[in-house]
Amino acid sequence: MTSYDQLHEAAQASLAASTRVIVQVGHCSQAVGATQVAEALQAELSGHSSVDLVIAGCDGACFAAPQVIVTTSPNNIQRYSQVSLDDVPTLVATLTSGDTTGLPLFVKGGRGDLDSFFAAQTRVLLTRCGYIDPTSINEYIALGGYRGLNGALSQSPEEVIQTVLDAGLLGRGGAYFPAARKWQAARAANGSPRYLVVNAEEGEPGLFKDRHIMEGDPHLLLEGMLIAAYATGASETYIYINAEANLSAQRIETAIEQAQDAGLIGEDILGSGFDCQVTVRRGAGGYVCGEETTLLDTIQGNRREPRLRPPFPAESGLFQRPTVINNVETLSNVPMILSEPVPPELVEGHAEGDFPVLPPFVKGGQGGFSSLGLDSAKGTKLICLSGLVQRPGLAEVPMGSTLRHVIYDIGGGPPPGTDLGVVAIGGPSSGVLPPTELDTELRPGMLHPSGVVMGGGGIMVMAEGVPVIDVVRQLAAYNAAESCGKCTPCREGTPRMVQVLDRLASGHGSTTDLEELRYLAEIVGAASLCGLGQMSGGPINSALHFFGDELAGLIN
Amino acid sequence: MNRSDLRPILREKFPPERTYLLPALHYLQEEFGHLPDWALQTVAWHLRVPASEVYGAATSYSELRIDAPGRHVVRVCNGLSCWHNGGRSILERLSDEFGVQPGETDPDSRVTLEETPCGFLCPMAPVVEVDGRWRGRVAAADIPSLVKELT
Repeated sequence: MTSYDQLHEAAQASLAASTRVIVQVGHCSQAVGATQVAEALQAELSGHSSVDLVIAGCDGACFAAPQVIVTTSPNNIQRYSQVSLDDVPTLVATLTSGDTTGLPLFVKGGRGDLDSFFAAQTRVLLTRCGYIDPTSINEYIALGGYRGLNGALSQSPEEVIQTVLDAGLLGRGGAYFPAARKWQAARAANGSPRYLVVNAEEGEPGLFKDRHIMEGDPHLLLEGMLIAAYATGASETYIYINAEANLSAQRIETAIEQAQDAGLIGEDILGSGFDCQVTVRRGAGGYVCGEETTLLDTIQGNRREPRLRPPFPAESGLFQRPTVINNVETLSNVPMILSEPVPPELVEGHAEGDFPVLPPFVKGGQGGFSSLGLDSAKGTKLICLSGLVQRPGLAEVPMGSTLRHVIYDIGGGPPPGTDLGVVAIGGPSSGVLPPTELDTELRPGMLHPSGVVMGGGGIMVMAEGVPVIDVVRQLAAYNAAESCGKCTPCREGTPRMVQVLDRLASGHGSTTDLEELRYLAEIVGAASLCGLGQMSGGPINSALHFFGDELAGLIN
Repeated sequence: MNRSDLRPILREKFPPERTYLLPALHYLQEEFGHLPDWALQTVAWHLRVPASEVYGAATSYSELRIDAPGRHVVRVCNGLSCWHNGGRSILERLSDEFGVQPGETDPDSRVTLEETPCGFLCPMAPVVEVDGRWRGRVAAADIPSLVKELT
């Protein structure tokens, strides 16, 4: 048994001071050659002990990927964006010449772009993501990792629950239910063992935030998960990872092994008497798998169909035992509630030669979770921004930030020569907004009474001229394809929505079609068991509200 | 491989409990590239789950394949960010090049072309997956070499 202080000391001692070259390899950047760049640098630099090559996750600046970040001292950090294999020889020549003062700067995306992308964000959750080695538990611990768990284990589970309730942590999967309320309910329920299930299915189109955390800072999730398990009294945890998120699964599995070796997973964790085992399970595709009761049934080996509630999972969940299901982003917020995100002294006044250093635009320890966001919804939210913006990527903003802030200040707005059109928000369960609604605040609950919600935090921006019927039809077709078929209204109603939309799009619509769409949206919404059906009318209702004239214009 | 080869492998890998159904199906797909009927039945025997329920579960997941795909599988993302950023024309081009409609395999079993709802790498739009590997920022100019690669 090792104490936390011993772990921390060993972790700091293990970090060598040297020139650090970070290649950001994530699910997204792999698709544009990051792996090849990393392999080439690895081969070229393997003989140079003065250069420490780190394969990190991504920091969210997807527009700049693949990124290479070179740190020769805390004050000399160079970022290279959209690096290709052709750039590798130049980079290697400079790094190995010993004189790294005048590193070449081949920022193709434009340095200003990166600065504005980060400056408009509040990075708390993503502090480490993209800058530390996700396969090294030492780097996580050296930067204050597992301090939250250590602190939690010295309190009673009830105290931990109270702290997280007081902090106001709401679930980030889309429903925004108080996370610790679930822990409390499962703790109070009879039944043993209790389970904690991490919902890492992330199957909502437009989302890639949980993958970024698992790939870039996997121990953050594990720490949050262990704290939640301790508070719940869960001795077994499952991490249910999306079928396609192979890199996430790999890095999480490595992190689990390291945490086991360090005595942070398993029996008598940090000498507290708390035992916890972790199993990784993979999904097999399907939006509905992210619905919490469906997820439980797929672990049990059943079809992917939601359960009737009550009983709620807190009373009768996995294998009919008390179960808590939390999203990756939710759990990743937990450690900073129990301790500050990154000890400020490691970020601000770090001494020359201290490694790993975080780039200067990353601010740690700025007041933690509760000082950010809204009174009704504390903390930050990860936003997945894509579509027609100059800087698509993963951003972190305080709850309550506006759509305009995200699309323009962070995303840079549409490229020159194009204009903003339909904005789809929250995936297929939410809605569409026109450019006149950019002052909408991103927060839990209805963003607009027609059914627009933030969901998991996906924002997809379309160009002006993309017909709203195309956007809505695509979302409706997705819902129809993903309907599991358990509830008749959803199974029959969602394809009917697509039929009517097709009829409108082809110019054969009749005057009753808009009314029929409204009617279908209402029935399917009212009579379906799970969120997929209940929310499937969102795109239609919001389109009817905001784009009613455009839709009516399709009828001859 | 046949039933008698598969049974000892399943016995070694998975305890005979229903909760191992999805991991077992993943194993079959990795091993065979799809889920052959006989293998589904063998999994049913091993886990003591009715074969009809194994089939029901297997067909309910979008990432599991009941039918054998072509030698290559090309999937084009039709999520909003991809579709309206060139994804739609890429799918049309590939459909012409391969001579198949989305969802079909060509007669020589060279390639299966599919649409997929989201690859979860939207900032890299438009994205295309070729044999399990995603490619981002795909341009029309990349298509000829992509087609040539697949033999």
